Amino acid sequence: MNDFSGIMKQLMKEKRDVILTIILGFIAGIAAVGLFAASGYLLSQAALGVPIYALTIVIALVKLLGFTRAITRYGERYFSHRATFTMLSHIRVTFFKNLLKRSPATMHRFRSGDLLSRIVADVESLQNFFLRIFYPPIVLALIFLSTILFTMFFSVWIAILLVVGMILSMTVLPAFFAARQRQIDQNIHKQRSDLSEQVTEYLFGFRDLKVHQQLIKQEEQFKRANDQYVEAQGFNQQQDLTSQTLDGLIGLLIAWLVLAVGGYLISTDQLNGVFLAMFMLITLTVFENTGAMSVFPQYWEDNKQAAARIFSKEDQSNQSSHNLINLSETPIEISFENVRFIYPNEPRLALQDLNLLIKPGSKTAIVGASGSGKSTILQLILALEQAKSGAVQINGHPIEAINPESIWKQTNTVLQESHFFHGTIRENLLPLRELSENQLAEALLQAGLEGFSLDDPVYEAGANLSGGEKQRLAIARALLRKANLWLLDEPTSSLDGITSKQVMDSIFTAAEFNTLIYVSHNLKGLEDMDQIIVLDRGQIVESGTYSELINQRGHFYQLKQIEKDTLT
Amino acid sequence: MSLLKDLVKQQRQKLMILTIISVMLAATIVVQAYLIVQIIYEIFLNNATFHSILPHLGFLAFVMLLRTLTNHINGRIGIQMTTQAKRVFRVKILDHLSKQPLERSTQGQSGKKVSMILDVVEEVDGYFSQYLPKNIQALTIPLVLLIVIFTQNVTSGLIILITAPFIPLFMALIGIKTKKKSEEQLNELSAFSGQFLDSLKGLTTLKLFGRAENEVGKIEASSIRFREATMGVLAVAFTSSFMMELISMLSVGLIALELSLGLIIFENIAFTTAFFILLLAPEFFVALKDLSSAFHTGRESMTAAKKIEEVLAEPTEQITWGNQSIESLPPSITLEEVSFYYDEDHPTLQNLNATIEANSHVAIVGKSGAGKTTLLNIFTRMLPVHTGQLFISGTPQNQLNEDEWFKHVSYITQHPYIFAGTIYDNIAMGKNRHVTKEEVMQAAKWSGLTDLILSLEEGIDTLVGEGGRGLSGGEKQRLALARAFIKKPSLILFDEPTTGLDLKTEQTLKQSINELAKNATMITVAHRLHTIKQADQILLLDQGQLLAKGTHEELLKKEPTYRELVGVNQKTGGMRHE
Repeated sequence: MNDFSGIMKQLMKEKRDVILTIILGFIAGIAAVGLFAASGYLLSQAALGVPIYALTIVIALVKLLGFTRAITRYGERYFSHRATFTMLSHIRVTFFKNLLKRSPATMHRFRSGDLLSRIVADVESLQNFFLRIFYPPIVLALIFLSTILFTMFFSVWIAILLVVGMILSMTVLPAFFAARQRQIDQNIHKQRSDLSEQVTEYLFGFRDLKVHQQLIKQEEQFKRANDQYVEAQGFNQQQDLTSQTLDGLIGLLIAWLVLAVGGYLISTDQLNGVFLAMFMLITLTVFENTGAMSVFPQYWEDNKQAAARIFSKEDQSNQSSHNLINLSETPIEISFENVRFIYPNEPRLALQDLNLLIKPGSKTAIVGASGSGKSTILQLILALEQAKSGAVQINGHPIEAINPESIWKQTNTVLQESHFFHGTIRENLLPLRELSENQLAEALLQAGLEGFSLDDPVYEAGANLSGGEKQRLAIARALLRKANLWLLDEPTSSLDGITSKQVMDSIFTAAEFNTLIYVSHNLKGLEDMDQIIVLDRGQIVESGTYSELINQRGHFYQLKQIEKDTLT
Repeated sequence: MSLLKDLVKQQRQKLMILTIISVMLAATIVVQAYLIVQIIYEIFLNNATFHSILPHLGFLAFVMLLRTLTNHINGRIGIQMTTQAKRVFRVKILDHLSKQPLERSTQGQSGKKVSMILDVVEEVDGYFSQYLPKNIQALTIPLVLLIVIFTQNVTSGLIILITAPFIPLFMALIGIKTKKKSEEQLNELSAFSGQFLDSLKGLTTLKLFGRAENEVGKIEASSIRFREATMGVLAVAFTSSFMMELISMLSVGLIALELSLGLIIFENIAFTTAFFILLLAPEFFVALKDLSSAFHTGRESMTAAKKIEEVLAEPTEQITWGNQSIESLPPSITLEEVSFYYDEDHPTLQNLNATIEANSHVAIVGKSGAGKTTLLNIFTRMLPVHTGQLFISGTPQNQLNEDEWFKHVSYITQHPYIFAGTIYDNIAMGKNRHVTKEEVMQAAKWSGLTDLILSLEEGIDTLVGEGGRGLSGGEKQRLALARAFIKKPSLILFDEPTTGLDLKTEQTLKQSINELAKNATMITVAHRLHTIKQADQILLLDQGQLLAKGTHEELLKKEPTYRELVGVNQKTGGMRHE
């Protein structure tokens, strides 16, 4: 259970529901056993001929047990599910809090890829933890033990048979299949990602495959991957089936043994014959519950891995914030000295020996092709990534010594793709201070969003907004905050020329006395910048003012020529 | 639901086997109960010796094994059917997608289609592995059991016959009452679960704006709302199982009462009969219960199947090919009244007429949305000609041999796709035969990739694409160019990049494309003025129509739209420069 300590902690916050589930589950199970025991006994007594009143009592008992069973089953289901969903809520909150504690760099990297959807799916899958892993074995063991205790009063031999059956179906069988499950899961996972790759290549690369006459080859690869995947799944399903079959077989075997041993004991007068039907029915009923154990291995393995991913202890570098400097509210100066940076799993440096100085209150443009390292510079300034070597300094302090929260507080960031939340425009403006309606509306206006009202809905991830609208909303968000540093990463790439100019003017007015860094791949509107830095494959190839760079007739000049040559 | 039914029909033989097995299963249940009753009767009431019941015990063991085995085979068949179904559905969908007009199969939503092929198909599983076998079982087993019970004791049979229909009745009642509500709730549920993902994705934004702590409360609140909504849906399911349990309990209780009265008061029922029926009655309800849980999975599968059907119902359009080879290379191309439309009222391209000489260079220009890329795809024969005719070196397009055609064509798009594999693989795919490393290195040299390859530790064997090294946009563009150098095409179709390339790629493209086009006909969707000026012929498109054709000078003279297109650009650029 060590793998599950994290999730157990969350589950135990719902102790009341957990205990209720176990009690009700036990009553439901034992009521069924009692019901059949009573009817078996009743029938045998009836065959011997008993007074009618005795019979009436037993019949009433049978009815009562039946009703009890139905009611407690309902309660068991209700409380177990409520505990589960409350637990999921605790897990989500805890996970999020832990994530907040991590270093900004890991947090930032976490954002990328499908890691996130993976985590969300992992949390969902943990709903099986309580429902299929934790409580069914406890309830089952309780039912077994009480039944065994009851039969001991009549026959030790029959009780021993039940013990053997319990051990087989509750420990031997699940352990055997759990051991095999891991490898099966790994294989399925591998085959699935292989199939996913083949489908993706086929659909996304359709045109290139067609022109290069590779479509049929790709189709064959897809079919092969598909075959392997469905067969791996089929194998897994067969394992489950075998596990269920063996589970059923154990129940029948024990029932058979009960009948044989019971028959022998009765024929040798060691047991009263009136109990045989009862034992038979008890055995058949109690083993009906073991089905829960035959699905145990698959959930066990799956949840173990999900829990490991969610509650991983690695990299919880709880950087202590009290030794860190808080940036004071002054204009910001930034310097890079021989900065190198490399993304994980990339062979090439994203930034090579970068040197730059950004003076307080200055306006800097960084230009270059996509992939030249422009955005990386911004991420280093925001402490979202850490330089491999060299020094990044803000106002003379090494960035490692500064509390990142204080950098963010003083920075207005408009990234290429900003995130928006399910809610309204107002909520997505994220105002920290109390702002008046007028101020909010004015920001929308300045960002060129005059058609929108503050109460218009925003869907998840801003799905109902166009690329241009999202960019303008991100700018409105920034315009509402007071900041000393502006970091703009192609903030108007989806806007047409006229709107783009209008919005950029709003920004420059707001940022008049602030330090501003503007990343752009188009070269228009840079005439008034204090400094233009031209990047190519992670290196600064040129820097200077617009007119200096044009007069140099170097890299920037050539890029400008190409831009002029391009029809828009 | 025709999709599922079709597949079921194809596997009719399996259905037959499933039915036979279910009948066998019912038989083993009956015989097992009969033997248990006999053994207990002999021992308990007949005072038989242990020795005398041994044959019965032996037979019982055999029947129990048989029951386990038939049950297992039943499950195996379900697995076989579901495996086959998923296999067939995936191939069908992919096949269908490949036959759709190009734009539809590549533009956007490719991610959605990947998930359709992978995940939606997965959801069909339950129909074959659970619903179908359980359905057949639920139809055969209770029927067999009911007949057996009737032969033993009519009253017990009648009790079941009267009480059992209450189960589907109650389920239907609850179902009708809550179906719409629960569907609404389920929609809400998916929205809730999306919100957690939303918060995680927005973490950086939240941090940058100092709002992260705030979000914790939101996550908790939406999680709890999620719980309440889920419990609402589940309560319905729990209630229906409660009703089911209650009805079956009442029914079995009634039978027990009736049996014991018959046994003691009226003495018209034997112990064996009573016990036998008491063992069979619960089995009757177990099969019904199994059906209801399988029914739920079945319904999910049917929704998934519906989604697949919708995709398969989208129109397909195949390009027709013949078996002729191209008359002369490089080819000349003639358009005669060529039209193309996605919907008939708004043709994307309308009545185009043009002739492209062999070995000439043609530029297609026009505003965005004018139909330039569509025309390029028509030239490539990725899209069909709806009316009119396209001649390749004099041969009507639909008489050409497909392989023969693509052997001579290179298509360089703005966003070339890089496949998972080595750089060598990605360049060598240009040719449909084995290519030596030297040839590939030579092609890489012409496309300005040598520096990149030399800077990588594994050189030309470096893995790129999905799961490999990331390449910049410019490098991808040059890699596509290298593919073309390997192929040595007679017809080049080139969608010139608009923005965002590095200087090196720009220069390489400028020089190498001309080298490549020395012995080829080249058609470019042009965004660069120098490309347009160099073209032998310019096709000016406007809203799907060919507005004008001619050289740069000719069009400047006679066509105001053209002047606007190239002139506006020059003026603003020039002004800034000064």
